[in-house]
Amino acid sequence: MTTTPNWALGVCSGVHAAGSRDVVYVPDNPLSHVLRAFEQQFRDVRLLLATREEEAFGIAAGLYLGGRRPTVMLQSSGIGNSLNAITSLLLPYQIPVLMVVSMRGDSGEWNAAQVPMGRAVRGIFDSIGVPHSTVESGDDAAETVRLAGRTAFGIRTSTACLLPRRVTTGSERGLTP
Amino acid sequence: MTGPMTRFEATRLIVELAGDVPIIASLGHPAYDLFAAGDRPQNFYTWGSMGLASSVGLGLALARPDVRVIVIDGDGSLLMNLGSLATIGLLRPSNLVVVVMDNEEYATTGGQPTPTAYGADLEATARAMGIAATATVRTPEELMDALDVALGPTFIVAKVQESAPMAKPPLDCVFIKQRFMSAIHNPESAMAGRPLPDPSS
Repeated sequence: MTTTPNWALGVCSGVHAAGSRDVVYVPDNPLSHVLRAFEQQFRDVRLLLATREEEAFGIAAGLYLGGRRPTVMLQSSGIGNSLNAITSLLLPYQIPVLMVVSMRGDSGEWNAAQVPMGRAVRGIFDSIGVPHSTVESGDDAAETVRLAGRTAFGIRTSTACLLPRRVTTGSERGLTP
Repeated sequence: MTGPMTRFEATRLIVELAGDVPIIASLGHPAYDLFAAGDRPQNFYTWGSMGLASSVGLGLALARPDVRVIVIDGDGSLLMNLGSLATIGLLRPSNLVVVVMDNEEYATTGGQPTPTAYGADLEATARAMGIAATATVRTPEELMDALDVALGPTFIVAKVQESAPMAKPPLDCVFIKQRFMSAIHNPESAMAGRPLPDPSS
């Protein structure tokens, strides 16, 4: 049996506790753990694959209009693909989406192509007015994600929760049997 | 080649047939025509996010399998988000109808030709992505027949003449959203109050 990292299970718990049962995603490597944990332990969560992150935000907006509480799960590079959807649909219409962002380009990165966007993500969120928080450890994941979702759906503002590589691939990665 | 039908005529026909079915309109002329053809609370006008109308419609169709969802898209817009056809073809929600008003030009920005003017075939693309119920229509009668499909998803390319829009929808995005959510009976609409828990329990 594959082991589920602590942080990945925490992400699932947090999304679930925030009342989200629809996760639209474009996968990346660390997020594969989250997807597997959803499939195995949160069977009431619907996983929806999108071909591009911008499309994922469009689908999420429609889910919200229909009464759901959508999560979009993506890599930080995908925020670059999604800016028009976030700034001209989610924000002006006050459509809340919980964004779970797997970070690239931060500490521990090996691929230079990931660095400029990874470095810019928080500044971009600040510029366009998207509140964001960062998961500091595997143990912290569930509560940080839950609070981000609770805020998003409570005040109807799309909110991001960032997963640093230190947590998803580095020394903080606690493996549970 | 476009048919004799104008985009406004096609839009008006859709609104007439739609009843209280929600309609998502792509930004620019498709949204302007939807407003002019018949403003109703069940119309969701996008003011930005070019390309995403079919994605918004897909999300709504998945959230609300009990209602039919109509999307009015443009050829230029859909070409920005062709991946949406793959996702619709993958998930195949039976309640989703996508109508592309294909005037073969970027009409909202001054009439520059789109690839469909040179043969790009959006119906063939949808079919190749696994959407079975597809049609290309040029007249109101053909459009009416194409809309009359019991089990979707349905993808219709309406080859239409560009027609100068007569009006613009409301500019307040939050108003559009709240009115829409209330009209489709979404309890999350902030226009509705909500009961507090019984303090005696």
